[in-house]
Amino acid sequence: MTTSSNKKPSIGFVLGKSGAYAILILGLVGTLLPFFYIIVSSLKTTEELRQTPPDFFPKNPSFEHYTAILTDEKIPLTQNLFNSIFVSLTRVIITLFTSSYAGYIFAKYHFKGKNLAFGVILIQIMIPFQVVMIPNYLLVVKLGLIDSLWALIIPAFIDAYGIFMMKQFIEGMPSELMDAARIDGASEFGIYSRIILPQMGPPLASLGIFTFMSTWNDYLWPLIVLTSPEKRTIPLLVVWFQTAHVSNQGLILAASILTLLPIFVVYIFLQRWIVDQATSSAFK
Amino acid sequence: METTPIFKKEIASDSGKLMAKQRRFAYTSLVPILLYMGLFTLFPIAWAVVMSFFSYTPIREGSGFLGLGGANPFIGIDNYIELFTENTKPAEVFRLALKNTFIFTALVLPLNLLITLPLAVILESIGERFKTLFRAIYFLPTISSSVALVIIWSYVYAPGWGLLSLMFKAIGLVPPKSWLQDPSLVYFGVPLAMICVVIAHVWQDFGYNLVIFVAALQSIPKTLREAARVDGANAWQEFWLVVVPLLSRTVLLTSVLTVISSLQVFVIFQLLTRGGPQNQTQTMLLSIYENAFRFANNLGLSSAMSMILFIIILILTVTQFRILRTEWEY
Amino acid sequence: MRKMFFVLVLASLLLAACGGGATEAPAAADEKVEIRVWGHQAPAFNEANQKMFDDFMAANPNVTIKYETFPWDVFIQTIQTSLPAGNTADVILIPGGYTCRYASGGQLLEVPADVMTVDAAKGIFFDAPLGGQTCDGKLYGFPAEYNLEYGGAYVNPALFEAAGVTYPPAWENWDAVLADAKKMTVLGSDGVMTTAGMHYTNSDQLFTYFLAGILEQGGSYFAEDGKHFNFNSPEAVATIQKLMDMAQTDGVVDPIIFNAESEWVGDSFAQGHNAIGVLGSWYAGDAKIGYPDLVFDYVALPPMMGTEHKFVSVGGWGYVVGKSTQHPDIAWKLAAFLGADQANVLFFNSKSATIPAMKSVAADAKYVEAVPFASAVLPILDAGAYQGNLTDPDQLAYEIVYPTILDAVQGNQTAEEAANSIHDAANAMVDSAQ
Repeated sequence: MTTSSNKKPSIGFVLGKSGAYAILILGLVGTLLPFFYIIVSSLKTTEELRQTPPDFFPKNPSFEHYTAILTDEKIPLTQNLFNSIFVSLTRVIITLFTSSYAGYIFAKYHFKGKNLAFGVILIQIMIPFQVVMIPNYLLVVKLGLIDSLWALIIPAFIDAYGIFMMKQFIEGMPSELMDAARIDGASEFGIYSRIILPQMGPPLASLGIFTFMSTWNDYLWPLIVLTSPEKRTIPLLVVWFQTAHVSNQGLILAASILTLLPIFVVYIFLQRWIVDQATSSAFK
Repeated sequence: METTPIFKKEIASDSGKLMAKQRRFAYTSLVPILLYMGLFTLFPIAWAVVMSFFSYTPIREGSGFLGLGGANPFIGIDNYIELFTENTKPAEVFRLALKNTFIFTALVLPLNLLITLPLAVILESIGERFKTLFRAIYFLPTISSSVALVIIWSYVYAPGWGLLSLMFKAIGLVPPKSWLQDPSLVYFGVPLAMICVVIAHVWQDFGYNLVIFVAALQSIPKTLREAARVDGANAWQEFWLVVVPLLSRTVLLTSVLTVISSLQVFVIFQLLTRGGPQNQTQTMLLSIYENAFRFANNLGLSSAMSMILFIIILILTVTQFRILRTEWEY
Repeated sequence: MRKMFFVLVLASLLLAACGGGATEAPAAADEKVEIRVWGHQAPAFNEANQKMFDDFMAANPNVTIKYETFPWDVFIQTIQTSLPAGNTADVILIPGGYTCRYASGGQLLEVPADVMTVDAAKGIFFDAPLGGQTCDGKLYGFPAEYNLEYGGAYVNPALFEAAGVTYPPAWENWDAVLADAKKMTVLGSDGVMTTAGMHYTNSDQLFTYFLAGILEQGGSYFAEDGKHFNFNSPEAVATIQKLMDMAQTDGVVDPIIFNAESEWVGDSFAQGHNAIGVLGSWYAGDAKIGYPDLVFDYVALPPMMGTEHKFVSVGGWGYVVGKSTQHPDIAWKLAAFLGADQANVLFFNSKSATIPAMKSVAADAKYVEAVPFASAVLPILDAGAYQGNLTDPDQLAYEIVYPTILDAVQGNQTAEEAANSIHDAANAMVDSAQ
């Protein structure tokens, strides 16, 4: 990166257009190749998977591992899928409500102890999960929630990050509308539900998507609190496969791809919001 | 990015009653939330702190509150002393883990920036349609389940016939016998296994910083850059004198975030290398987890380890909030 | 709407509380009872157990058995977290080294005297597996199998034939094993080992053969007080040296590729990547399910360091009852049905291809008929002892001994250094536990 032209104002000044695209495509290949390799490998037969050295592409692509995993009655795949969907959606609904509601209070009200209360909530962001993992486990046991899907939901009612985000967003909303509503006799909760909430579509959507994804991909906490096979979520099923079916690599690959698939589908439809969310949460 | 307004006083309402009503609403709404936070956040934290001063394992039935006491006696700061001075295996491994966690972080951060910054600059310079497409694909690993990604990378790093070995052979290079298992392969003081984990992690994680940098670049007002050009700056100068200074705050903030998240990486270490070979990829979190759940059930010692990790993260988080608090204006 | 928030919180707490409390009422005689059983996720174990559960449920129609299995790591972690929390299955198929740890902490129920006494158990079971289910002279469970990582190996006839080695092997001493293994080791064109002549560098094997090597030479790995360890004796150094030489001088295995983390001995053997796979006979059952086309035998290995077989065992899997059970009577009835009934034990050991912990089953012709390859190790069962109180057996085996010896075998430290480092770390472990 030594020469540059005075005439070219663009930031792609050094490389030129084709150079820029070449680098971007190289990055693309690097990003997609591991996915691609795993997808084509999952279409190999068990014999082909054990063959050394392996071929990159399967000779006769087949979905045998997918059919095996989807039809094996001993694998509670549908139940596990349901668990993951149920937990993820419930957490999304609860998080959206608590985050926007608490965010509204912190953004628009003055009261004694507000900073202290907000500080308490921020502590949750600062504490790495693993620090409270052990006491949380013992707590969940004492509450009788162990080996129940509620153990994944109840401790996660409040998402400090969500509150923080929503507070930032609501602070940016003008207060004049609220005062006008008050004069019209609206209750404080009415202001939240009728004035604030309707304006929060984009941040709620992106918080919701992120909550869904992080819940769907969560691994360590479910690993600790869920013990029955039919209570497992999808990532646990994959790890269970990885350890229990070493002799059948194809099943592990198929299970991994089935874990990724729902998220990819959600992503394709909602990617703009997702990327926006990543940006805004880091900025604020 | 719009600027965050400093909180403005509500338009003064002359009715004190109305204010009282608002306060009451705020309090009644927050009380359940705070009680909940108390139970599920503050109480566990306090519990973890207290546990770190006990020789506590739930296998033994203690006598006091929460089983702390009796057979699980109070031992002061012995857990911390053990971790830093004694030669027991958990303590030795923990000290190694502390070092490894820093090595990991120290490699992840520059590698991440080295990829994401130039890529963001290039990405920002191309047409809108392709920009969206590339950005979307680069972000793909970020949203994927770590468990599935570990399985993908175990195929990449498989000895002999893995994707990486095949690629090495295809271009006439001799791959190492084992990417993740040979403790004698150490480059510049960094074990090969650690380098492999760093690469896998950066691959999984770089999408985040990339979209942040692209957004930051987009938010630099065109007028500023045009003004620079009017003043006779060439593109190179424009980049270094206008873009870089404006970007530096974002880079700083992103770096702190990257460091904090690197300290908390778990799945890839637990499932891809299990801390091996010879503890070369053993990290603090893995040590905490293994001492609590895999080996001796020594929750007191594990809690002490957690506290050390917590203090490190706390310092970084405070730094992060400092950076956040200062206003940015273009 | 605001009320809804409270209602939501309350409702979910209530729901959860109901879910947790549903099974807690004690059952009357013929009331429906659900007994939860936990076990290790091993295909052969599970098939055998399921059949016995069905039999038990047929004989006790009021009982339903819920059988849950976990892969090893998850299982260990689940036991570690849920036993102390009082949230376990009623009957647990637990690994031997763990029973005493939980029993001494008060987490397991002692076998009631009317079910079986310690003295009666001594007559019924071999010492080694029984040792794994007793603690301070009290009996806490019934050993289901005799964990034997020593004395036998899997052999692959195709690889023997390809290298022109006599099959089946009749090895008189360890050197004869090594001589054959050397002939079967294959390096690829790039110099990387593709087939190991003998894979002995798995974690359990390095640990087992390290202890056995000390004993075979007449040494002891315990210090005089019986609690601390003596791991830097000449016998210990010689054993580590032997384990190193086999890889470094004889070159029968490349320990960087073949170890517990990559090319795990069982799968590696089944895929034809090693000709002699040193591993417990328990794997035969799994191999038959995971690799139905695999042709193999299980054969006896001569002593490595001496002339006589001498070894210790971690005990083996056994049925225990957690203290949190609501139905101790039924739980013990089931545990005894699974672990103390001769016909069922015979069925379990035959079906899962495990080594019997029960003496009468080991002597039963029907067992040998069902598990022919076990005959390789049946003669040495009496030479085994329980490994004793190792303070924290997992830490000792997987954190201290295995990684250190593997490091030495990989050529990164000398036998003396390895022995000293094991000695110090093991004794530090004992000290910190006191």
